Amino acid sequence: MTEIAGWLARNSTSIIVWCGALCTFAIYSILYAENKFYRLFEHVYIGLASGYGVYIAWRDVLGPKWWIPMRFGGEWYWIFAAVAGSMFYFMYSQKHVWISRVIFGFFMGVTAGGMFRGFYEVYFPQIGSSMKSLAPGANGWWDTANALVFYVLLFSAMTYFFFSFEHKHPAVAATARAGRWFLMIGFGAIFGATVMGRLTLLIGRLNFLLNDWCLQEVVPDWKSIYFKIIVGLVVVALIGLIVNSIARPKQKNSTSSGTEE
Amino acid sequence: MDLLIKLQKIDRRIIYALVVVVLMLPLIFHPAGHPTLVTPEVHDAFDVIDQVPKDKMVILSSAWGPSTEYENGPQTAALMHHMLLKGIRFGIVSWDPQGAQLTYNIGNNLQTELHKQYGVDWVHFGYKVLIEAALRGIGTNLPKTMETDMNGTRLTDLSKLPVMKGIRDSRDIGAVVEISASGTLEGTMTYMTQPNNLPLLYCPTAVMSVEAYRYLDSRQLKGMLNSAVGAAQYETLIGLSSFTTPASVTTWALSTAHIFIIVLILLGNLGYFASKKAARRQGGEANND
Repeated sequence: MTEIAGWLARNSTSIIVWCGALCTFAIYSILYAENKFYRLFEHVYIGLASGYGVYIAWRDVLGPKWWIPMRFGGEWYWIFAAVAGSMFYFMYSQKHVWISRVIFGFFMGVTAGGMFRGFYEVYFPQIGSSMKSLAPGANGWWDTANALVFYVLLFSAMTYFFFSFEHKHPAVAATARAGRWFLMIGFGAIFGATVMGRLTLLIGRLNFLLNDWCLQEVVPDWKSIYFKIIVGLVVVALIGLIVNSIARPKQKNSTSSGTEE
Repeated sequence: MDLLIKLQKIDRRIIYALVVVVLMLPLIFHPAGHPTLVTPEVHDAFDVIDQVPKDKMVILSSAWGPSTEYENGPQTAALMHHMLLKGIRFGIVSWDPQGAQLTYNIGNNLQTELHKQYGVDWVHFGYKVLIEAALRGIGTNLPKTMETDMNGTRLTDLSKLPVMKGIRDSRDIGAVVEISASGTLEGTMTYMTQPNNLPLLYCPTAVMSVEAYRYLDSRQLKGMLNSAVGAAQYETLIGLSSFTTPASVTTWALSTAHIFIIVLILLGNLGYFASKKAARRQGGEANND
């Protein structure tokens, strides 16, 4: 037993890295096709995250801030927090569901109050900053041009969302149409940023697989010629796959394109 | 023309594989260069941190976990690096259970590299539940609200945590940095920074960054680091431009991948128009027959 513990302690880093690599491959296997390997690890992830969350919630929050003061610190009134918390669970009882509504109502009220405050702190400064001066600023006429662009975009977008009357007048209709285009450009920017974000996460995993797992665990001497050969073979194999795919498109695709034609 | 039409029918898995190959090139060759272009919002963020007086503390409000580690991790590391180099005290509060350990690890690795000490130069307040009371409490009575650090040491125990000396409320906070992968910015703004008139910096994931520009325009945000790219730009400002860091490698990989995706979009569009043209031509021939 001691020997196993010792071995685990000595190789803990390698074990963690190998587990990480296995999990990464399992989750990314969905990109090839839906499979049971992926589903298994998806459930492992959910279980681990939930278990870890419960442990941390007890260690860092419930234990030191609720249980210990109530049980050992003489702060008995914390028992009411448990009473209020358990009221949520009455939502599962048809007969006593009203009890859960009391606590839900309380939190809805608190949240609504907070939203008022949030509106004042978050959005009022936005309204203020929308009143831009058209006079040349520190950057000369560039500031005027910037302010003009801002006003054009602001009024166009606002006109698009003005639903009190039909956009019949040509000027209003054209402005609203321009507003829609500007909004589309905005959504395009958000989508572009989303692509960047998702790629960054993929880069992170690839970096782990390549540098932490492959180079440190699988190929200890990464500068060896073998590694370069392996990379070269993988690239050649991929190019082969592409050429093969172009030369012989899948039956399903050719059938569907045939139908279109 | 035929090739373009055939490319339209390419298996999506081959495109995935190609993206992986393209992304792996910078990861294999590890180019050291950082971005030479630093955006104004990153410059502003640097200036805010750089000007924090030594008797004040910077609060890193961290709301991210493993799922966005490669976006928010480099941001956290770049900011911590700057503050440890400059001797600016900082405290981290994590609103994510798993993120608490990740940010603690980043701090530990950096303190070893820069010969700094936990409890003297920085402190981790551990995981806390993100509620309005906690956000307000940081501004009104920090030690009472956070109570203990990550290891359970009381913040009032100055023999173990001298970094907390003189830190009581918002008057002792130099800046707040929101490093986030979720919609926590408005809560921090509403309950912590705006009522206490504290400068707020933002480190979002790329998905969230576009919507944050309006806060920069209204000066509710004093600066921003947009994903790992923002972190790489920040590292340029703190003099790490000749070193290979996770942020710089990510930036290179992103650049190659973006070029590749643009090429794919162009090819896809060319193929689309080519197939339409071919279909029109075939339709015309059929009519002639």
